[in-house]
Amino acid sequence: MAVDSKTLELRALKDKQYRWIDRKWDAVFWITAAFVVGAAADITKQLFAGDWDFWTDWKDRQWWPIITPFAIIIIGSALQYIQWLAWRFPTGMTYTATAMFLCTLIGRWLQWGAFVYYPMNFVWPATMVAAAIFADWVLLKTKSFVLTSLIGSILFSVTWWISNYIPMAAFLQPAQWMDRVVTVSDIQGIEYVRSQTPEYLRIIEHGSLRTFLGETQYVSLVFGATVAVAGYWVGQFIGRGLAIWPIGRFMKKW
Amino acid sequence: MTMRRRVHRILWAVLAAGAVLVASAPAASAHGEASQEAFLRMRTVSWIDTTFSATTVKQGETFTISGTAKILDAWPTNLAKGNPNTGYIGLIAPGPVVLLKERTINGVSAPSRIDVQKGKIYEYSMTVAGRRPGKWHVHPAFSVKGAGTLLGPGEWITVEENPDGFDNPVTLVSGGTINLENYQLPFTWIWLVLTFLIGLAWMIYWTVPKRTVTNLAVTSQIPLNTDGMDYGLITKKDHRNMNWFALGTALLLVAGWIYQSAAFPDKMPQQIFQFAPPDPAIASAPVFATVGLGEAEYDSATQTLTVQAQVTNTGDTPMNLTQFTTTTLKFATGTTPGPGVMTVSPSPTIAPGAPAQVTLTMKDPAWETERLVPIGESSLLITGVLVFEAGGEKNYTELQANLTPRFE
Repeated sequence: MAVDSKTLELRALKDKQYRWIDRKWDAVFWITAAFVVGAAADITKQLFAGDWDFWTDWKDRQWWPIITPFAIIIIGSALQYIQWLAWRFPTGMTYTATAMFLCTLIGRWLQWGAFVYYPMNFVWPATMVAAAIFADWVLLKTKSFVLTSLIGSILFSVTWWISNYIPMAAFLQPAQWMDRVVTVSDIQGIEYVRSQTPEYLRIIEHGSLRTFLGETQYVSLVFGATVAVAGYWVGQFIGRGLAIWPIGRFMKKW
Repeated sequence: MTMRRRVHRILWAVLAAGAVLVASAPAASAHGEASQEAFLRMRTVSWIDTTFSATTVKQGETFTISGTAKILDAWPTNLAKGNPNTGYIGLIAPGPVVLLKERTINGVSAPSRIDVQKGKIYEYSMTVAGRRPGKWHVHPAFSVKGAGTLLGPGEWITVEENPDGFDNPVTLVSGGTINLENYQLPFTWIWLVLTFLIGLAWMIYWTVPKRTVTNLAVTSQIPLNTDGMDYGLITKKDHRNMNWFALGTALLLVAGWIYQSAAFPDKMPQQIFQFAPPDPAIASAPVFATVGLGEAEYDSATQTLTVQAQVTNTGDTPMNLTQFTTTTLKFATGTTPGPGVMTVSPSPTIAPGAPAQVTLTMKDPAWETERLVPIGESSLLITGVLVFEAGGEKNYTELQANLTPRFE
């Protein structure tokens, strides 16, 4: 099949060697940006879903799957747009996930473990890496942000919950304590003193007459996936409106 | 001096000042209770007979914090909309240096929040285990939804290292016993790190063999909804390899799911308990003491609070005024003025019948160190609980007094 001249030109451009822009630039960019991205993602997560991520007794089946996917998909979505637009890499979500995991891990171990002695099995951070891989994979396959927002966000929410329910399962076992049957995570929440955080502040499932046949978990997952679609577009707005558009304006002016 | 040397000197000076500041900072040992406004602390919860059964324990050994907390009828209208209804009696400590192992309120086990009401009395007992070696300041605390956490009297607790080691056993309904200190920690770490490594591998695949920054020259000239396969940006091989990545991740999740289903077949959602504890025996004791609105005067020169109040004994036998308590302070009736002592004139024994005018004098620097004299605040009121005893019964009677400060 004949190849047009524009294609040949772009192929050549892709392989062009630059004198001043070598692989060191790549390394410097990816490594330094990792801390910025990780911090931005972690702060966003903490703003919306901090306590759900901090404590096992907050990781419930109603609010946790609704709030957290929304909170963590935002920065990943912005990075997905930027990295796909600039380099055609389906990596934005995974890059955010791995960077945030590193930052969170250091913070959790240092601040919650070493400084204030909480056992790490009470304050472990949720992982979004598996969910991010599926969101990036959907972008690679569909090459569409609309489809990624619809399919990818839903897949993201569901796989995020599965990948975190697996380590959480052990803490949902029933145990005998204070004349009651409670979960292991409930015991962690009461026994390990959280000064100024009385138990009634815990926002977890209380039940309601609107609970759909008692299947709170699945209703929450569906709702959480829907909310994550909205979160995905919040991230797209950040990526497009607050990052790429101003840079484009600046470059044109410059 | 050159500019460069001057800048260096300034930088070194700033660095040294910072180091001195950090090194000289004492460890925080209080919990901010004195920062809350005095009249609010005094009008919310009164703590009566708070006791710590031990002040030195080994790791894993327990001690008991017990006493009585009363939510005052004088509860201010600007906290919890004047109607406290949900509360939590717990501990304040510098993090989980101690463990709360058991808690009873009015004789029943109370794992979490409770219904509360103005004027009600809560007799609590908390079994606490030492966890982290060190000397820690520990308070009982009454948190009220819509108001915040109100601290009771604190005590220094020394936790000594246990040479036999320390664990925190919990019995599962399925029969096993787990150590809450590190239960499931290895699996949690392995799982989290494993997922992280998959993400890292995904990133290395895209960023190490491929050029990144320079791709912009091409991507800026092609539509967004294309993978750039024609120009070699993303290849068929990339697609194939990413399919394997996604499949591998899915298989990992399936394996993890099978593991958790098999390892932990019995699971349930987190539990919420909220109930109204039964009234303690003292709540049904006959009421034999009433106190009118008092007049208080504070002399800052002698750090002495004097309260004049009209007390009526409506019972049949003489009653004794044994104690005044307000927030974290307790004054037992005595004859020699001094810290923790309240002198009562003409007498702490009040005969039945006609109202008696009594003067309570409490000389204690704690009024100022605990910032409990509400001078400078928006409500010059002293509030607390007077404990009367007669015929083996007790009455916890609220006292409110308008405060007149003496400024000289």
